[in-house]
Amino acid sequence: MSPSSPANRSRDQRFALLAALALCGFLLIVAGLMRLQIGQHDYYQRLAQENRVRPEVLRAPRGAIFDRTGLLLADNYPSFNIVFRPTPAESAQRMPVTSGWLARVGQLVEGDTTRLKTLVAVANASGQTAVLRRGSPFAVAAAVEESRSDLPGVEVMIEPIRHYPHGELASHLLGYAGEIGDQELEERADQGYRPGDLVGRTGVERSYEEVLRGRDGAEFVVVNAWGRRVATLREGPPLKPVPGHDLVLTLDLRVQQAMEEVMAGVDRGAAVAVDPRDGGILAMVSRPAFDPNEFARGLSVDRWNELAQGGSNPLLNRAIQGAYPPGSTFKIVTMLAALRAGVATPATRLKPCSGSYAFGGRVFGCWKREGHGSLDFVEAIQHSCDVYFYQIGTRLGLPRLEATAHAFGLGDRTGVDLPQERKGLVPGEAWYQRRWGSHMRKGLLLNLAIGQGELLVTPLQLALLAAEVSRDGRPLRAHVVQAVRGVDDFRPGRPSQPGVDADETAWEALHRGLELVVSAGTGTAARVPGLAVAGKTGTAQNPHGKDHALFVCYAPVEKPTLAMAFVIENSGHGGSVAAPLAGAVLRRVFGADSLARPPVVQAPDTSKVIRGD
Amino acid sequence: MAIAALGLLVIGLLMVFSATTVPGAHQGLWVRQLLWLGFALCAAWVAAAIHYRAYESLAYPLYLLSLVLLAAVLVVGTSAMGAKRWLDLGPLRFQPSEIAKIATVFVLARRFDAPRLDLTRLRHWLVPLLITSIPFALVAKEPDLGTSLAFPVILIAMYYWAGMPLGQLALGLSPMLNVLLFFLTGSLWWFGALFVGLVAAVRPKLSSLLVVLALNGAVAYTMPHLWEHLHDYQKRRIQTFLNPGQDPYGAGYQLIQSKIAVGSGGFVGKGFLRGTQKALAFLPMRHTDFIYSVVGEELGFLGALTVVILYAIVVLRGFRLALAARNGFASLMTVGLVSALFYHIMVNILMTIGWAPVTGLPLPLISYGGTALLVNCVQLGLLQNVALRRQEY
Repeated sequence: MSPSSPANRSRDQRFALLAALALCGFLLIVAGLMRLQIGQHDYYQRLAQENRVRPEVLRAPRGAIFDRTGLLLADNYPSFNIVFRPTPAESAQRMPVTSGWLARVGQLVEGDTTRLKTLVAVANASGQTAVLRRGSPFAVAAAVEESRSDLPGVEVMIEPIRHYPHGELASHLLGYAGEIGDQELEERADQGYRPGDLVGRTGVERSYEEVLRGRDGAEFVVVNAWGRRVATLREGPPLKPVPGHDLVLTLDLRVQQAMEEVMAGVDRGAAVAVDPRDGGILAMVSRPAFDPNEFARGLSVDRWNELAQGGSNPLLNRAIQGAYPPGSTFKIVTMLAALRAGVATPATRLKPCSGSYAFGGRVFGCWKREGHGSLDFVEAIQHSCDVYFYQIGTRLGLPRLEATAHAFGLGDRTGVDLPQERKGLVPGEAWYQRRWGSHMRKGLLLNLAIGQGELLVTPLQLALLAAEVSRDGRPLRAHVVQAVRGVDDFRPGRPSQPGVDADETAWEALHRGLELVVSAGTGTAARVPGLAVAGKTGTAQNPHGKDHALFVCYAPVEKPTLAMAFVIENSGHGGSVAAPLAGAVLRRVFGADSLARPPVVQAPDTSKVIRGD
Repeated sequence: MAIAALGLLVIGLLMVFSATTVPGAHQGLWVRQLLWLGFALCAAWVAAAIHYRAYESLAYPLYLLSLVLLAAVLVVGTSAMGAKRWLDLGPLRFQPSEIAKIATVFVLARRFDAPRLDLTRLRHWLVPLLITSIPFALVAKEPDLGTSLAFPVILIAMYYWAGMPLGQLALGLSPMLNVLLFFLTGSLWWFGALFVGLVAAVRPKLSSLLVVLALNGAVAYTMPHLWEHLHDYQKRRIQTFLNPGQDPYGAGYQLIQSKIAVGSGGFVGKGFLRGTQKALAFLPMRHTDFIYSVVGEELGFLGALTVVILYAIVVLRGFRLALAARNGFASLMTVGLVSALFYHIMVNILMTIGWAPVTGLPLPLISYGGTALLVNCVQLGLLQNVALRRQEY
């Protein structure tokens, strides 16, 4: 800096100019303030009191959910809320809350006047709208609308609530969407959720929340002191609501309905149907079920506790959150592992079954006390002979059995697009080390070979196992959503498991064995005339009461279009309890018309507006 | 000055308290503001304690760092209302443009503190212009027009304080005048006439003249294109400012509500915590950009005037400090910081009373916003720093 330079003005002069400029600026502000606050005070005072401009939320409709044929599974339904909107405290026309007013409003909303009084007082103090009655019948809403001029401040507000036309049907898969809670509101504050918003809680509603949910818009309305809308203001482009995307599921309502009917008598259990061609879930039932409409409307605390803490927990989606020992259904894995490893061929005959097998100083029984006699591999799976599979287990060893199980995706999440899926468990050497601090004893291997022991699978994993077997081990990605309308590049994920490599004779033997299970083995209850069904029964011992009954199957064997798994808790034998259920579904699905048609992606167009509005 | 600043901080806290005690999404944010204030005061103390020579030597690294951060915002920044201004650092979100302002002031002060500075020479004035242009362009790209304009304000004030003759300053500013006249008249002829007059009066060196001419040419060429590239909301804001009646409820909503709030406050206001526009949530962004509306509504003309007087004290004392400081760097830094502060105050307050476009600039020391508060306090700490050592050369 060179203050002495002759070309420069002195610093004092420069300071004077800067200071003068700043002063001018501040004087400008003061002038502006005087004009607004003194000169035009009356004008703005009046504007503040009388002319009210308020932003009003335009709710974006949540996307609807359809099955693969375009049938509706979930949409929105208008709910009439009676609300009280306060006027500014200093407004000359502020409604005095008289006893007459209270009595009339109380009569309309069927609430007691003391509660009303508090609600109104709070609303007046905070300036926030108070909901006097949620979900009132149309007649009440109409009555309120009619008497609005007598009841300033009281209005009908239409809010969408979620509607599930089929009630309990596929409730676990669909999940439910309800009004956002205080805690969730705080957690999701940065995502723009507001009180009164719907949010997906479980199932597809939860996992596709971002897609289903639209973006609310807003408009500005001028209201007079009586709360009447004088004009709608021009809204800017960013304020238009953007509706949520509709979902088209892989679910087939026909299959789902068949499965629901068949499962209706089951206390606890789950069933899943998968399309072996693409891994799409055709049906999913978990018992006991719940009615998602109840949640959408809002649940009382008592009812919630009843549902959440009741003994059999209807909110649990057993199809993906229930982990069960697979029992003899796991023999599919054992057989394939043995054929792959070459420790046996389909024609191998081992020591004949005498009803029990002695190993390592212990006796391991076969489910058939009198014994099966001499069997080859195919016959062994047909009759589910435990003694044969014990011997296979000892020859196979744990690592190879474990590897095949993992290759089918057991012990890992399938990656299905539903929340909170369980992994199940396929114990390996490392697991036993961690768990027991020692090597696995060989005796445990015998149990694993017949699907007992520490093994745990979900019904979905079992259905996927059946589906993958039906297509000779090529892996599948289980998924529920087939298409998102308006999102062209939506694709289900890729399978996370590698799939199973085995030569053709192995697959052929397995298919033959599983077909024999249904035609002349343990699973004859699932037989359907004219349809080639392959299946495997399972009966899983468990410490809590009766055995779990299991059954997996796929059909038609030559060109499979349906793979299913059933797990019925504490009900008895797979062959006598689970297999008949599968048979009933198969008869319903394949009896009428064939499933062997291409999946429908395009569902009929339905408008985005709130239906019933 | 320190006392005036503290007074502003207290008023700010009270107003944020008032604006955020209304039930709603922002309820209770004043507690966070209080925590930030404590933090900010510590930072101010640190900024004052370190000798300004340290800032002088750190000027360039700091400047480069701020450029990197600004670029980072454009790439990975978090957007709010269609503009990327924030960097997310875990729990912290901050606007690098705030740091860039201070860093630019440091660099300019250092350059202008050169022994044989002659601002009529091309090299001496063009480099500072480039130095300022980079952060200006990056911030404008975010897009944050309001904040970006603080950079030219800083540059002009420091040019002037560093001894640039007024006539030449006007000539240097001619590209900006060009823009302004374009907007006001819609043609470039007026500017052409003005430019010829200026050149005749100042008689610049040929090299300078050529550069200024080139800049003007560039501006004249790009202006019509630039207008096309402004975001819709920016255009609407400018148009709304020019003619609020044109769209009173769309873009003009904020302006009108703010004016209603301030105007209805009257001479003594509605009383602390008793603002009705605020309570009914008519006031948009009431705890940040439009906090002065809450002041005007609740504390009336008297309160609003008090705030203005306090600001005036801070700004005028700031300029006097620049005069008193003997060290060239310190003096220049002071002018840069104070002029940035002044710019923010003017733009924000004039916006709330409807005399400037809605820009989304916070009101220094009063608005809610942790990092803004922190940076403002650091700025004041730096001024205090100079004040403590004003006798040093």
